[in-house]
Amino acid sequence: MDMITIPAVNFTPILPEIFLSVLAMVLLLINVFIPGDRKAYLGYLSFVGIVAAGVLVAAGWGGHIESFSGSVVLDNFATFFKMIFLVSAGLAVLISDQYMEREGCNHGELYPLILFTVVGMMLMASGTDLMTIFLGLEVMSVALYVLAGFNRKNPKSNEAGLKYFLLGCFSTGFLLYGMALTYGATGTTRIAKIAAVVGQMSLPSANIMLVAGMLLMLTGFAFKIAAAPFHMWTPDVYEGAPTPMTAFMSAGPKAAGFAAALRIFLVALPTLQVEWSQVLWVLAVLTMTVGNITALRQDNIKRMLAYSSIAHAGYALVGFTAGNGTGTAGILFYMLSYAFMNIGAFAIIILVGKKGESNGNVQDFAGFGVKHPVLAVAMSIFLFSLAGMPPTAGFIGKFYLFSGAIQQGYIWLAIIGVLNSAASVYYYLRVMVFMYMKDPTEEFDWMQVTAPMALCVAISVIGSLIPGIIPSLILQFAQQAIKLI
Amino acid sequence: MEQTIFYILAAAAVLATVLAITEKHPVHAILFLVTSLFSMATIFYLLMAPLVAAFEVILYAGAIMVLFLFVIMMLDLGHPEKGLAPHWKEWLPAAVLSGISIASLVLVIVSRHAAPAAPAAMPTIREVAVRLFQEHGLAVELISLQLLFALVGALYLGRQAKSGDSK
Repeated sequence: MDMITIPAVNFTPILPEIFLSVLAMVLLLINVFIPGDRKAYLGYLSFVGIVAAGVLVAAGWGGHIESFSGSVVLDNFATFFKMIFLVSAGLAVLISDQYMEREGCNHGELYPLILFTVVGMMLMASGTDLMTIFLGLEVMSVALYVLAGFNRKNPKSNEAGLKYFLLGCFSTGFLLYGMALTYGATGTTRIAKIAAVVGQMSLPSANIMLVAGMLLMLTGFAFKIAAAPFHMWTPDVYEGAPTPMTAFMSAGPKAAGFAAALRIFLVALPTLQVEWSQVLWVLAVLTMTVGNITALRQDNIKRMLAYSSIAHAGYALVGFTAGNGTGTAGILFYMLSYAFMNIGAFAIIILVGKKGESNGNVQDFAGFGVKHPVLAVAMSIFLFSLAGMPPTAGFIGKFYLFSGAIQQGYIWLAIIGVLNSAASVYYYLRVMVFMYMKDPTEEFDWMQVTAPMALCVAISVIGSLIPGIIPSLILQFAQQAIKLI
Repeated sequence: MEQTIFYILAAAAVLATVLAITEKHPVHAILFLVTSLFSMATIFYLLMAPLVAAFEVILYAGAIMVLFLFVIMMLDLGHPEKGLAPHWKEWLPAAVLSGISIASLVLVIVSRHAAPAAPAAMPTIREVAVRLFQEHGLAVELISLQLLFALVGALYLGRQAKSGDSK
């Protein structure tokens, strides 16, 4: 019997993924031989690995290589998003060790799981086949469920893991059903072929199966990016998950959801743009408003940032609704700067927090500005950037998202976005009021700032400021990245 | 005729799945799920996918459901047996549903054998394998990676079997 010939494949597009998977497995093996008090070495190793993967990813800039008979592609769009994932993973690894040590769950499995999540996210960004995107999402999600419940002694973390797992599975069902219906309507799962088939339909919006598939996929992605009304899981999961993982979850997987959704909707279903942008319009308004209004009333700062992260998904959805060059480039820009500013803010939260997840309320920041002026300035920069004030990255990001909407004629959407942004200033500034204008209710202990932590805060400050001062530095890459779409 | 069988089977599958969710007794629920999977398997056979039909029976209805049953028996979650001869109302739905799926399977196979033209249209295992490993090679690799890390996660979360952990 003759053998099945496996066609020669070009491994270049998935080189970073292969590297990170191998690294994750090697770390799993090394983990066995490292004693419990030295798990930090695994963190250092994975940080070095992430930087190396960043070099590999950056080397692929400008190329366009399809591989695995059209399952994955190496293009600027994928490369840009891969960088976002690596940034969020790298920063999350830096802040993990100190927190995990304090909470007594510094287990070596953490780092391989983070790396593995990155592999899944990368495949979501570079997948050009619905199957690759779906499997990438599953790879990411399975590792994330474990990461959310990583502090297995803490009931809240357990609850977060279980809640994320159950709701995540449910939403994955929607996504998969949507993909199946799209396959049924078009007869292929390759994104380029779907675009060709849909493009030949005389009236694609009359094809009920295709429209239902599109809406179900939209639902699945809306869950992953925590868009209202599919956001119910977010506050509980973000509050219960270990803080570094919350930081990671709010930056990386959200960007991955946007990457996959952008590729599917802009490349495969551009002929249905009128239909999906109407749905996205409603989603964007709901997400921004629900996120911001609820965040106003939060005292727990992790919960507050969870609602704020919902609101930020809403801002990005404004750019998605526009669907034009400015709007989509804005999403890419915003996701990158959001990774910096959000993880930076979470790093400060970890420093202020105490063992057992205590000291996590806004009131606990009272007097922080006096006791730790440098860290307080860093926190202020992150909060200003989150609120979208010039000259931070958050301002420029929102500027491009909203101007994209205005260019497409979505004036009201932009107005609602700006109003929301103004409302959000209240709860970000509330933290600063406590930091600078209130006397400390209790003495701050001597706060240990480890070297990785300091590095993370420094990188995050640079990442939240430089794109705001010199936007073209990042924006030119974002604009090149969306050209292929 | 095959279309009629499809609709009957689809109705049986949906009904059995609903019963699997609403049934309070875990063993009954699993048996309804097995019934649903058998109906699905026959539907796959109708759709010219005998390999998937076989997988459905061997993997899902066979291996996984038997595992479920074993776990439930080990945990002893089920109510104590009421008696050797259950009331006819209790086994009637199961008997009807499984009767439907088995009868339709027999019908389909008999009718396909009568008309030898049909099996030629069915893709062979070889064709499925070629598609799987040539076009979706990356997907196969990804699934294996995912299983590895699902295992790592399950082992990690379940190691201190102190309380019911999240997975």
